[in-house]
Amino acid sequence: MQELLNTLTLGSIYLLFALGMALAWSTIGILNFAHGAIFVFSAFSAHFISDFVPLSMPAIILISVLVGATLSALTQWLAFEPILKRSKNHRSAELRILIGGIGVAAIPIALVDWATASAPFGFANSSYSTQVYEIMGLRITNTSLIVIIAGVGIAVGLTLWLRRSRQGLGLRAIGVDSETASLMGVNRTVMAIGTMAIAGGLAGLAGALQVFQLQAMGVETGDQLLIKAFAMIVLGGLGSMAGVILGAFVLAGAESLIFAANMGTWVDAVSFGLIFLVLLVRPQGIFGRQEVRRT
Amino acid sequence: MSVPTPRRHLFKATAVLASVGLLAACGSTGAGTQGGGDAGGGIASEIKLKGIYDTTGPVAYAGVGASKGAQLAMEEIEEQGFLGEDVSISLEEVDTAGEIERASSEFSRAVADPGVAAIFGPVAGQQAATVAPMAEQSKVPTIFNQAGSEGVVIGDYTFRGTAPMGTYYDIAAEHLEKEGLTDVAVIYNGTYPTFAEIGQEIFPELAEKHGLNITSSQAVQSNTQDFTSQAQAIAQDKPDAVVMLLIAPQSVTALTQLSQAGYDGQVMATSVQAAGNVAQAGEHAAGLMYPVDFSAAQDGELAVDFVKGFEEKYGETPDAYAAEGYDSMWWLARGIKASGDSSREGIRAGLQQVAAEGFEGVMGDLTFEGNDMRVSGVLVEWDGTDEKLVTQ
Amino acid sequence: MIDWYTANSVVIQATMTTLLLALSIQLPLRMGVFSFAGVGCFGIGGYTAAIAFTKFGMGTWTAVAFGTVLAGVLCYLLGLLVHKLTGLYLGMATIAFALIVSVVATNGGSLTGGASGLFGALGGITNLHVFLLLAVVIIGLAISEAGRFGRKIDTVREDPELAVALGINVTRYRKLTFLASGLIGGLAGAVTTLLRSTITPAEVNFHLVVVALTVIIIGGSSSWLGAFIGAVFITWLPTVLSFVAEWEPIIYGFVVALAAIFLPGGILGLVKDLRHRRGARRGSTPPPEEGAAAPPDDEPHAPEPSRTPVPSQGGAL
Repeated sequence: MQELLNTLTLGSIYLLFALGMALAWSTIGILNFAHGAIFVFSAFSAHFISDFVPLSMPAIILISVLVGATLSALTQWLAFEPILKRSKNHRSAELRILIGGIGVAAIPIALVDWATASAPFGFANSSYSTQVYEIMGLRITNTSLIVIIAGVGIAVGLTLWLRRSRQGLGLRAIGVDSETASLMGVNRTVMAIGTMAIAGGLAGLAGALQVFQLQAMGVETGDQLLIKAFAMIVLGGLGSMAGVILGAFVLAGAESLIFAANMGTWVDAVSFGLIFLVLLVRPQGIFGRQEVRRT
Repeated sequence: MSVPTPRRHLFKATAVLASVGLLAACGSTGAGTQGGGDAGGGIASEIKLKGIYDTTGPVAYAGVGASKGAQLAMEEIEEQGFLGEDVSISLEEVDTAGEIERASSEFSRAVADPGVAAIFGPVAGQQAATVAPMAEQSKVPTIFNQAGSEGVVIGDYTFRGTAPMGTYYDIAAEHLEKEGLTDVAVIYNGTYPTFAEIGQEIFPELAEKHGLNITSSQAVQSNTQDFTSQAQAIAQDKPDAVVMLLIAPQSVTALTQLSQAGYDGQVMATSVQAAGNVAQAGEHAAGLMYPVDFSAAQDGELAVDFVKGFEEKYGETPDAYAAEGYDSMWWLARGIKASGDSSREGIRAGLQQVAAEGFEGVMGDLTFEGNDMRVSGVLVEWDGTDEKLVTQ
Repeated sequence: MIDWYTANSVVIQATMTTLLLALSIQLPLRMGVFSFAGVGCFGIGGYTAAIAFTKFGMGTWTAVAFGTVLAGVLCYLLGLLVHKLTGLYLGMATIAFALIVSVVATNGGSLTGGASGLFGALGGITNLHVFLLLAVVIIGLAISEAGRFGRKIDTVREDPELAVALGINVTRYRKLTFLASGLIGGLAGAVTTLLRSTITPAEVNFHLVVVALTVIIIGGSSSWLGAFIGAVFITWLPTVLSFVAEWEPIIYGFVVALAAIFLPGGILGLVKDLRHRRGARRGSTPPPEEGAAAPPDDEPHAPEPSRTPVPSQGGAL
């Protein structure tokens, strides 16, 4: 049981990180490789401010979310939109969006690296303190609870919103066929920047919560999570939000099992080997649909 | 590591073929005699050194620290007229920015310049291992700081002014034995070379020697971020102590999660925790111990003077990297004085002569295994805000 | 000139090895195969060569040959497994392959040197050797870009259905591209390792994918010449930028992002475009719009026809 709970927490951390990336990818078709950098920079901004003024948890989260949303929207506006405008079709833009994202990511990461001299940073000065609860022999911290609720809650909420709401429909329409969508009255540019702002806000939220949960963050954390998030998105099936949720927990579960078997240095091989095998059996990912192909 | 470096092939290859093509051929012609400008031996009035290490990028802290220490030592050497009244030393630094190719390209430029008498090499292990054969081949004495991996000190011309962590980790095991903390759990980063080596080989040997019982040994990767299950497993076992060999952000998380899981025994970590890297763990890190090769809390006369001088010059407390840079520069100066010759060949001979005798530096009594420095190290305790010495 | 060469010979060397790595990724992209297996093969080639050289006392060139061939064979076998995957699914599977290579190296005990990797594998490779090897690879690639064969490959990428209808064995082409990519990647790894004398598991990671892709996108993805321009650009940029010291990573990021935004066909595309326009201006037949309306096709396409067209801005910058 305790292992399940731990896996749930780990999966929720992964999920929070991947959600923003998956949202942008499954709607407006942007695979943002600056997501990890935005995640680190948002958390760092909150750390930076909280070093001067002791802040409460909500205030720290708010700062992180706002910084993330701003950065992400700016990236979309200044980098990805121009790339799309200069490409014959979305497919040819895809690789350049990837590289553009990598270029953009280098900038905030270099700043954080320089400011922290590569030392880990956290919210030691925050007024929030972690409590440990013991319920029926299970140990859980209040931070883990918040992480699980935020992760699962937002993931399910987003999935439903995309499926049910009018804006969600509009967004998905862009993902399927942006030209037709704009003919139907969907303002692509505004929608895209808005979506990226939400995605960035989620990165900021994930960054702040991760620091609360793990107490510290290193500047390289973003890159490490980026590749895992990419794996989860692909594993679940490109374009499927439900797939990302599944992907996050499958990856976390696989990692927990490998650690339980004390094969800690094999983690990447086993979890990525698993993804490899899943892809051989289901070339479109677990929930991927054959008909919407935008790769 | 258990892998012996196969020197036979290495030297066979270097002897027969110029590794870097035209470059090496150019670099080595006459280099041995021209170094320092004064061909017939003797100490030149101007000794030109080159520093090739990271001053930006992920291991910048090590390069910057070493550089500050070396600069301070140079000032003192000139002020004291240690090498003669009118002898000046200059250290020209170039940044390798974490890139192997940059390191080897700058290194090749330096060896090709006959004016460069000696080089302070890269701090990152792989950069160092890449340039080490070039140093041997072009016969330029090169002192490395940090760069604890194998393949760095490989011959007569490569020197290391940092004792690898594994060589002084025994004081940790000794302390555990003395305190009667015999049941020990180990958690280590198996993808980080230094920690993999200590976790897999050095510590098990030390444990046997000191009568410690390793109850569990868990490996993680550099990209492992959550240690909840490992911490809980340890808390359940309740060993007397935990040996934690993790990189900086991991350590903060692991310490916090160990204490959240209800573990309150002794945690023994590594010098990675120095320089306030565990500050973010707050009260969870209080009582943490780790062996270091240098601590500003050290009370030797030289160490106290060094800390004072460093604080005057830079307005901050020196870290271990600075102490290593400082002692390495003094090693070089002593070497030049010992051989009375500031040419490349003279510096090599002098460095080896000093190494054979050992000397006292700010890190304590320095001894050498070949060209490789050894220190006894000190055990320090982090009280939540500051480092203090654990009295042995 | 000699002085300049001496001072920069390692950078020149790095340019050539980076180019080899980039070519191993570019070839499958030109075939419409989104495979990063070249990076895993870089690791296999590097490790095999280093092991052969240090543990078994083989000569430099035997070790390089071993690394290259083993990487090629393993990559071909990988291709047999995954050639049905498309797009990012294939990208992910091949990245997984590279990460697995790295983990196996970490856990390979004394054979691979564990986390510390292997040291002392300094082979006798000179810049001239690398240049000759590179020339052979480039000639092979240039042949695959020219004439009928080149058009066949373009068809396989742009419209696999059409290619099948034309009697091109698309599946065979795709499988063979894995073999070729593995050979080039393995060669790149073996040569780089025996030049540097070391290889560690940490090297074989996602970062290499990023380097290779950046080279290709900045230089131009349609031809080896683009990868060459990109490799020169990426390798020399830090040297040129070194005077800005700690601002370098930031400026590097800006340059890469700007190149991705403003150079749809990479630097090569830009050059071709300018030449095309100048040709048009000299007053011969084509009206000015044509140069803008039909820019050279410099982007690789996944095999599916495009479904999300964005209004064309042509090649105008």
